[in-house]
Amino acid sequence: MSQGSALLTLSAIDKSFDVHRVLDSVSFELANGEVHALLGENGAGKSTLMNILIGVYSADAGTLKLEGKLLKIAKPSDSARHGIGMVHQHFRLVNRLTLTENLLLAADGHPSLKSRSTARDTLLATAREIGFTLDPDCPVGELSVAEKQRAEICKVLALGARILILDEPTAVLTDSEASSMLGAIRRMAESGRSIILITHKLREVVGFSHRVTIMRRGETVAAGLDTGDLSIEKISSLMMGASTSSVSSDKPPGSVRPHGPDLLAISHLHAQRDDGAPALTDVSLRVRAGEILGLAGVGGNGQHELVETLCGIRSASAGSVMVDGADALGLSPRQRRKQGLRVIPADRMAAALVSELDIASNLALTSVVSGRFGWLWLNRRRMERDANASIEQHEIAGARPQGRMGLLSGGNAQKVLLAREIDSGMKLLLAHSPTRGLDIRAAAAVHQRLREAAAGGAACLLVSEDVEEIMALSDRICVISAGRITGELPGDANAADIGRLILGHE
Amino acid sequence: MSNVRLTLERRQRISTLRSTTTYTLGLLIGLACGLLVLLAAGAPASTLLNDLVIQVFFSAMGLAQTLTLAVPLILVGLSATAAMRLRFWNVGIEGQLWLGAIGATLVAINDVGSDSLRLPTMLIMSAIAGAAWIAVPLILKLKAGVNELVVTLLLSNVAYLLLQHLLFGAWKDPVNSFPVSPRYGDNEQLASLGFGNLHSGIYIALGITLLMAILVQKSRTGFYIDVIGHNRPTALATGIPVTATITLMILLSGALAGLAGGLIVTGVEHRLTQTIGINTTFSGIVIAFIARFNPLAVLPTAIVLAGIYNAGGTLKVFYGIPDAIVVLIQGIVLLTLLMIQFFRSYRVSLLRPSIKQPT
Repeated sequence: MSQGSALLTLSAIDKSFDVHRVLDSVSFELANGEVHALLGENGAGKSTLMNILIGVYSADAGTLKLEGKLLKIAKPSDSARHGIGMVHQHFRLVNRLTLTENLLLAADGHPSLKSRSTARDTLLATAREIGFTLDPDCPVGELSVAEKQRAEICKVLALGARILILDEPTAVLTDSEASSMLGAIRRMAESGRSIILITHKLREVVGFSHRVTIMRRGETVAAGLDTGDLSIEKISSLMMGASTSSVSSDKPPGSVRPHGPDLLAISHLHAQRDDGAPALTDVSLRVRAGEILGLAGVGGNGQHELVETLCGIRSASAGSVMVDGADALGLSPRQRRKQGLRVIPADRMAAALVSELDIASNLALTSVVSGRFGWLWLNRRRMERDANASIEQHEIAGARPQGRMGLLSGGNAQKVLLAREIDSGMKLLLAHSPTRGLDIRAAAAVHQRLREAAAGGAACLLVSEDVEEIMALSDRICVISAGRITGELPGDANAADIGRLILGHE
Repeated sequence: MSNVRLTLERRQRISTLRSTTTYTLGLLIGLACGLLVLLAAGAPASTLLNDLVIQVFFSAMGLAQTLTLAVPLILVGLSATAAMRLRFWNVGIEGQLWLGAIGATLVAINDVGSDSLRLPTMLIMSAIAGAAWIAVPLILKLKAGVNELVVTLLLSNVAYLLLQHLLFGAWKDPVNSFPVSPRYGDNEQLASLGFGNLHSGIYIALGITLLMAILVQKSRTGFYIDVIGHNRPTALATGIPVTATITLMILLSGALAGLAGGLIVTGVEHRLTQTIGINTTFSGIVIAFIARFNPLAVLPTAIVLAGIYNAGGTLKVFYGIPDAIVVLIQGIVLLTLLMIQFFRSYRVSLLRPSIKQPT
């Protein structure tokens, strides 16, 4: 290893929220010029640790040292002053401002970044250095997710970060975009910066990091191991604990099933974005009973609008959608549910669950509409009994019927949603990025449920930006790019072919 | 190390006991601050307790007056609650109340229906008129996305001008030409309960509070209201009847405000006057907020607020304390209650740093 001595040392960090101890004497060491992968399941404490490092939270106990000197970080601006920057999964960008303006805003009067022209020059220079192309004068809101991410990285670097924390940087990218991003990460490290890479994708860890630190349940289970000495299996077992065998995401043998009639038939569908620009152009797809159709593509290519149009939240400008042979376009979301449509949207807390209400209510949401708990008065007891049964059947850890939805972890919240949506009336399941932000175990559980749904005779349309997920589940694969279907491949297509289609259409 | 830090932690679970004590404390702090304002405004400290508490809640006449004032306050509090639960800003309660009073008076002046059914007709008409007045911003909001805040607020002014137009014109009292309507007949007045000015409208207010509590907490519509109020996209996506629920509840909000107007004119004034609706929007929203949009909590809140108004009357008459001070006190109480919510949700603790120093 050519990396230098320890640049940043966190030792014996403790942190509790209320009565919950989320970090227990955690240590972490970052060397000069390295890519250091920080791994752990959801809720392992990675985000909390990083939030302490950037000054969002303060540690209850423990020390931070930068280049051997004790570091006091009481607020985010302290960490920025010491050259520590973080690129969050949810970008800290103001959509209505341009990237240059966003940088000026974040710089907050920093002496070297006061004028618009220096800010713009710094951005362009930073982008050139790490091999990004970006338009500093375009309002951020008009950028795609991948462009926003590049913009955010350049912004953080332009602010002078030499320690860069990247939270799931490839979660929203296609394979080829991801590898170019990972290449850029390596280049940043080679130019002397140190990178902390938080990721769930073990292949990235093995391929692109120098060292690995693994957290489990608020503790460090492996600190600063050389990546060269590790295999995916080894990392996976360290992350999940010794008792769990590594979860395979391969398709079970004999998964090719005889397929039934078309339960979803979309033909020549057109729809518009909120700003009136075309979002979907001449989209035709069909999904048969018992199959999973994977729709791959980079986020922001019309997937969101397609899902909304199918749900009945967005109106189509032309074309037709048939659910189980009956026209669906003229119907309300409620009528479409009656037809058998079930939906797992990309942002479950924004469009499918109510975080302020209790879990029983969330599980009952759709059956209250259909009258299961009474037409005039709600039978609360029955609702809780049903909820208890669901929680038990679907092994939703930490859930009580009276518990607040918002307090569940992402994986368990998704289980609640799946438990509600996959019911006896389901004919067509629309799942959009169903494992985004979930850890390996939770993602495997979601995949299992989707397979079971298809095996039970439902048609399943899986819209995902994660090509691995598409390949693991799909019987057929379609690719969407710039609002058009650019091709169809069999379920056993390889990643390179899919990637070519994803990028091949401009 | 000398620096002591304040830390904040979100409470994972909030017990009812903690909620209740926190709010009671907030109310007391607010009232204490209000007292300071009163003293600063020149109210004599020696008789303040007597005027503010004993006379208002513990003397027969005072209590009767407090309860009489509370009747319309309960209804406007429920009106604000119905709208706010759906995140609909009805800041035109005053306008709907005027329309309710006008509607009732219209029935009285034109002798609509049989004499024996006159009073119920008046009250029903007041509710319908209030609902009709809020239908305008409701339709604009649902059909054209127009912000209800501006429309409800401005329609209050329109309602007031309509009232003046009637009182200075067609409905002027022929007996003395004052700008008030002619006095209602006996069959057009709510029965007096023989306890001060208190009238049978209080039973109506209590009954409606109970019905509202059942609607919000036990019914299917109440469930829809919770979902729509917290997360409208989810409500739309899961097929909850969003438009129907909003329409029902907002019309109900207008109807309750209108009925408040109807109860004031039939129960207390026995004629339409120019002062009954003043400040009711503000009171309704204050009550709804303090009651945390819980209909059952609206009841005690409205009574306490009525007590403050009642005391305000005494202060004005005997010590020349202006109305504005009473409004100021209400504002202070509201602010302290809203601020105390922070301490309900978060634990604040002083932390001596335990960061181990390298030696």
